[in-house]
Amino acid sequence: MTLTAQEVRRHVMDYLEATGCTVIEVSPLHVTVKLSPRADRMLTDRPYYWGFVERTGAEPETLSFTFVFDPEQYDHAAAQAAAAPARPRGGTNLRPAPMVQPGSNDMEAAAETDTAAAGGAPAGVPPGVSTEPQDSILARYFGIVPALPRLGPGMIRREDVTYGSKRLKQIWAAARDEGKCLQLFEDPGSRQRMTLFSAAYEPWLGVCYKVEMTCDLKREELHFLGISLTTGRIAADFGTRLGSLELTPRLPENIHIQPYELTVSGGADRLESYLTDQLAGLDYSWAEEARERLRLELSIVDLYYSELLKEPDEEKKQAIEEQYNARRTETAWQYEPQIAVSAVTYGLFHLRSS
Amino acid sequence: MMQLSRNSLPQEGGISAPLLPVPLSFERNWLQDLESRLEKGGPWGDWKLSRLAVQGEQCGLVTSFDELQCTKHLSSLSPLPHQLDTAHKVLFEMSGRAILADEVGLGKTIEAGLILKEYLVRGLVGKVLILVPASLVLQWVRELNAKFGINAVAQKKAYSWGNDIVVASLDTAKRDPHKELLLSSEYDMLIIDEAHKLKNKKSTNYQFVQQLRKKYCLLLTATPVQNDLGELFNLITLLKPGQLGNQGDFAANFVVDKRQPKNEVQLRGELSKVMIRNRRGEGPVSFTKRKVRNIPLTLSPEEKALYDGVTAFVKDTYQESGGNLSSMLSLVTLQREVCSSRDAVFITLVNLIKKLPADSPKRDRMMELLQSIRTVKTNTKAEKTMELIREMNEKVIVFTEYRATQEYLLQYFRDHGLQCVPYSGGMNRGKKDWMMDLFRGRAQVMIATEAGGEGINLQFCHHMINFDLPWNPMRVEQRIGRVHRLGQQNDVVIYNLSTQGTIEEHILHLLHEKINMFEMVIGGLDVILERFEQKESLEKSLYKIMLEARSDEELRSGLDHIGESLSELSQETRQESGVTP
Repeated sequence: MTLTAQEVRRHVMDYLEATGCTVIEVSPLHVTVKLSPRADRMLTDRPYYWGFVERTGAEPETLSFTFVFDPEQYDHAAAQAAAAPARPRGGTNLRPAPMVQPGSNDMEAAAETDTAAAGGAPAGVPPGVSTEPQDSILARYFGIVPALPRLGPGMIRREDVTYGSKRLKQIWAAARDEGKCLQLFEDPGSRQRMTLFSAAYEPWLGVCYKVEMTCDLKREELHFLGISLTTGRIAADFGTRLGSLELTPRLPENIHIQPYELTVSGGADRLESYLTDQLAGLDYSWAEEARERLRLELSIVDLYYSELLKEPDEEKKQAIEEQYNARRTETAWQYEPQIAVSAVTYGLFHLRSS
Repeated sequence: MMQLSRNSLPQEGGISAPLLPVPLSFERNWLQDLESRLEKGGPWGDWKLSRLAVQGEQCGLVTSFDELQCTKHLSSLSPLPHQLDTAHKVLFEMSGRAILADEVGLGKTIEAGLILKEYLVRGLVGKVLILVPASLVLQWVRELNAKFGINAVAQKKAYSWGNDIVVASLDTAKRDPHKELLLSSEYDMLIIDEAHKLKNKKSTNYQFVQQLRKKYCLLLTATPVQNDLGELFNLITLLKPGQLGNQGDFAANFVVDKRQPKNEVQLRGELSKVMIRNRRGEGPVSFTKRKVRNIPLTLSPEEKALYDGVTAFVKDTYQESGGNLSSMLSLVTLQREVCSSRDAVFITLVNLIKKLPADSPKRDRMMELLQSIRTVKTNTKAEKTMELIREMNEKVIVFTEYRATQEYLLQYFRDHGLQCVPYSGGMNRGKKDWMMDLFRGRAQVMIATEAGGEGINLQFCHHMINFDLPWNPMRVEQRIGRVHRLGQQNDVVIYNLSTQGTIEEHILHLLHEKINMFEMVIGGLDVILERFEQKESLEKSLYKIMLEARSDEELRSGLDHIGESLSELSQETRQESGVTP
């Protein structure tokens, strides 16, 4: 599955909005944003800076970014804006696309020259002098250095965010970090407050399971399951049900929660049994094939070493035996099929009984 | 590797669990997390972020066992079809253990990067060790970061090993204290570049790699078979012991002679299970053209006198020694150096004199030669090179075989106001890299010795000058491969300097006219050489002819003979590949 620029944009915007970032400028192709302290901590990898802020109580200065979702179109638009003789739009970030030297498909280079231009540094670089980031002395030593964050007003780093970019992955990871463990209530709406009778709410344990089926290859599935801790009923597509509801972290007025018949860990046990049942119904030819490959590989290894193990010298033989066992373990490690299940998100959901 | 294994399922729910045909493990840390938060009353996560996390997870989900995922994650790279094919084959047919043996310049690094990325995306690989020659460490780090978005780190200090994806030099890795550390770790993936350094199973390199614990493994080499079938066997044994049977079986089934295989079809079939070799002539890969300019030069009278003096000396000494070739190597070198520069001859000559006993009769003669070196004031080749560089007025790489010539040229060019940088095998990693960067950035000329030829990519430059020629065609091909490779936008112009009336002229004739080596983009050179060298290496045959020829005529006919058999072989291979394209 891959994402279009528009879908990526929606994900990024969702994150920025949820973390309370200040959007400075936005278009379908890009967003310029000043991160909130919360997002800055998660995204900019500056633990020392945040340690300093915590200890001294200094006013934090968060970073700003221009995230570009469709670099090609964005550069095109920027070039057009620059070509147009009209006065530049006030405060716009659509600067002419920096000339990147041929052969350097490194977007870092673009980002670097972009910031330099933003900071008012002279844009004219003497011809013949490479402006690639790998020319820096540190890059010469380490091969590559992450571009350092630059502080100060007007220092806005451009970054292309597309499917597969590190930033998007980081945003997902950050979202998971802050959103994995939940306790939520269905919003009963304003009418419930006026009603005489308190509404009955059913507690549900919801878990989004990730199933990883592994041999020398791999396939994954997501199962968002829910179990009512009152009735023990299991909802297979719990995620969709939650998606259609209005949920709030606060306990609403005039409702009561039905008593638990199951403990949380009891619910978890049942969910696991249920999931196991589901998994049992799958096609396991992949595992059979992997085992067949494993058998074949092991037979080759066995045959090869059986000859070598006829070595009369004890010492040498021992070394060979060691190698033989190591190779067998390695092969099993490579092919042995297995399934591992972990939880992506999980929590208690209190939903109106139906 | 160990996971909380909970294969027996709880019975308290009253649901009897069916047994899966595969071990199943549930990770349950989340339950503790949830319970402890319930106890403490929070903190609770954000619903919007939670949904985003699930969506993200959904997007990254590997929904199929057998479909390449990595291409979707690579926006700054469009791999070529043969590279994607290779990645596909390694993943789904070879289970991640393979020798990538494409010819020079087809992008083995890209293929390895694709395979690595795919395994990373699938979450099958976390810890990776990449062992390469020291001069390539930074280049690998850059390519993996820039082209694949893989956070690879160059090994610099002991703590670097702790990173997930480390690029290091094999020579460092195999030494203490690193060795012990590495042997005690487990690597999900091991990649070794220039793996032909692992052919000898008695070497420390080989034994070290054999002991490393690895799940997937890629060996990259452009020359899987250089001299000896046994070496190929060793390489495969490293990857998959037993794939070609044990040594005895292999010898019995596939080997006639060290260099000559039998049951070739069957051998090729077996090899294709572990090795992928894309050739330049195959597939839709389009390369730019190679243009060859041979520049004939006439030596100045002093240079000519020196050349004749050295030639006569070399021949006489050879005859005196009774035709013993092995002790003649330094003399052969002398003969070749005299075609390059007087500086090169001078140094070798002085070293030879030092080794002689004080009363040796040869001493006088060599001193005479030294004297005649003094009379040489000009270097015809250097002047011509200078002229060429001025004319083209673009970046150019000059190759020479000798350090002394390199030094001389550096000095000469600098005196004449040309910006140039040296590059040689003896430089350390940092310096090599620095020189590359300088060449890319500010210098017009790079002067490289042969040793520096391996592993540098200079696609941004499309002129090269062979100041002198190696006598081994594969080395010539390697030189060209530095410039003429994927990513080269322009036609590559190759200038060959040859001084008339010297051995060099003959060698150039042989390489150019007979094997047509400079224009041959079709590859297959290695095949031709392999066949030719079944008896003796080409270089050695050339030495013999050179030393034994009593006249120019004899020399010419000897070389012609070699040339003919080479062109026959090349026709043969062309026909073969024509029959089975």
